[in-house]
Amino acid sequence: MEVSRPPVAPGPGPAALPRVPPPLAAPRPALPERLRRGWRRHWLDVALVVPLAAYILGFTLLPVLQSIALGFTARFGGAFPTLANYEDLFARPDFGLAVLNTVGITLIGVALELVVGLAIALMLARAFPLRGLFRTLVLVPMGVPTLVAGAAMLYIVGVNGYLNELLFRLGLIDAPIYWPQSGPKGMFVIALADMWKTTPIVVLILLAGLEAIPRDVYEAASVDGASAWRQFRDHTLPLLMPAITMAVILRAIDAFRIFDIALVLAGRSVPVMSTFVYFEYFFGNLNTAAGAATVLLLMIVVFVAGYFWLVERRREAV
Amino acid sequence: MSTAWTPGRVGFYALAALFGLLAVAPLAILLKVSLSGPEDVLVQHPPFWIWHPTTEHWAAVLKPEVIWPPLRKSLVVATGTAVLAVVIAAPAAYVIARLPRGWRYGVVLALLFTRMFPEVIIATPIAVTFLRAGLIDTDIGLILAHLIRNLPFVAWILVGTFEVIPRDLEEASWVDGNGRLGTLWSVVLPLALPGIAVAAIFAWLDSWNDLLYAIYLLLAERTLPLMTYYFANRGSVFDVATFSVVLTVPVLVLTLLLQQYIRAGTLGGAVKG
Repeated sequence: MEVSRPPVAPGPGPAALPRVPPPLAAPRPALPERLRRGWRRHWLDVALVVPLAAYILGFTLLPVLQSIALGFTARFGGAFPTLANYEDLFARPDFGLAVLNTVGITLIGVALELVVGLAIALMLARAFPLRGLFRTLVLVPMGVPTLVAGAAMLYIVGVNGYLNELLFRLGLIDAPIYWPQSGPKGMFVIALADMWKTTPIVVLILLAGLEAIPRDVYEAASVDGASAWRQFRDHTLPLLMPAITMAVILRAIDAFRIFDIALVLAGRSVPVMSTFVYFEYFFGNLNTAAGAATVLLLMIVVFVAGYFWLVERRREAV
Repeated sequence: MSTAWTPGRVGFYALAALFGLLAVAPLAILLKVSLSGPEDVLVQHPPFWIWHPTTEHWAAVLKPEVIWPPLRKSLVVATGTAVLAVVIAAPAAYVIARLPRGWRYGVVLALLFTRMFPEVIIATPIAVTFLRAGLIDTDIGLILAHLIRNLPFVAWILVGTFEVIPRDLEEASWVDGNGRLGTLWSVVLPLALPGIAVAAIFAWLDSWNDLLYAIYLLLAERTLPLMTYYFANRGSVFDVATFSVVLTVPVLVLTLLLQQYIRAGTLGGAVKG
């Protein structure tokens, strides 16, 4: 067996050696020969990558394609391609609700997370006594399983829950409110549970962005006599945009896919896309489940593409 | 910040206290319910304090025949996922980290993009396939499913770990006559070990927390999250709270221990090992 040699950096060799043009008598080796040399040099790299690549192809890309195909396959008879499943879906009120709830929860949740996350990140960017304790406390929700965030919310927003009790004791309501119901209340409650769980991630992303802003930007602004608010608006916010973009994209993708919290908190009464797909699968409607999942994928792709399109257009306009 | 108690300073601390309180309140409520008698919970105006403490919910949940089957399943699956994720992703991450810059960026971005696929779009065909293959209710079936989400993530973290290991060290080892595999084993691996450990713990936590694949792929057996959901579905108020606390404790401990590694950089694949 030949001992494999370490790879040699491609391209020209050390600068000290002048490149000698190859003599005409020795043309470039034929393709099979070059392949064989490439293989001898890189077989180990290929062998190290293959398991991961195969797994992602087989267990991620293939299932996604299977789902898309299933969505276009008739449930009975297996005709392909057909739009029958989509006609079915779009005629159903609970599917429309699932689309609406998912979009609503994402918009409410991400907006709340950004505002509160930015406030906490700005606080953490300053030095104050007990800062370490404050950081640990606000990171606690990150150490709580998503499902548990939903379960805890059960006790808070239930009819006899602590939110109603708090509002009652503050004299704001007389009769308890039933929160996890279809409509704005349900959206708000699910967005709130999601926000509780995920704001720490937004805080960490924005804090890293804040710490990357060079100090002299502020010093120059203070010399100019800019107020704290103008400093924030004119200097901090524009420089924080890349971090905000990262937070919005990461959080929105996850919010569109929300499952655990919606399922444990509201079950089928407030359907979101993922729980809708799950219940379709559960009741044996494989093709409509796959169709609805495809719609969800489309929603995510459209959102991400749309966000970048908007951000790019605004950057050009500036 | 000045030391005088200005209104701004008082407001700052009040806001910090409010955020800190809200961050831990839901957990405190779960713990409270798990230790309360029904008089403190199942009433129209639940009190904010435990007036009727009891350990009966804990005694009921901690019975070996109740807690052990889901606990065993969760432990086995989470540990299997963590080990396999590292075994499959670490070698690939090493190669990706040594790619030319442009390629590396592209591959890392592609790994990130797998996150855009909703899990339900993957889980539906996977469940059908696993049903045919007899993998429903098996530990290995759930491990294979949890790897779907964790392989790209672990690879992503580890690319950051391998990137910062200087190439010169490897080249020196080659010059010393070690083969490439020998160098990987005796030079690269020890240096990457802290990063690998962190990545493995993240994968372990993700698997421990998972409800989605468990609900698709388990019919007769349950993991801890599935058990919690099952009780929530039945409306067993006290079991949900108690199981939630059991589920949370290891996650909270590991997360707080790993605090220094959990930075935005983690999300960008740059764990400092």
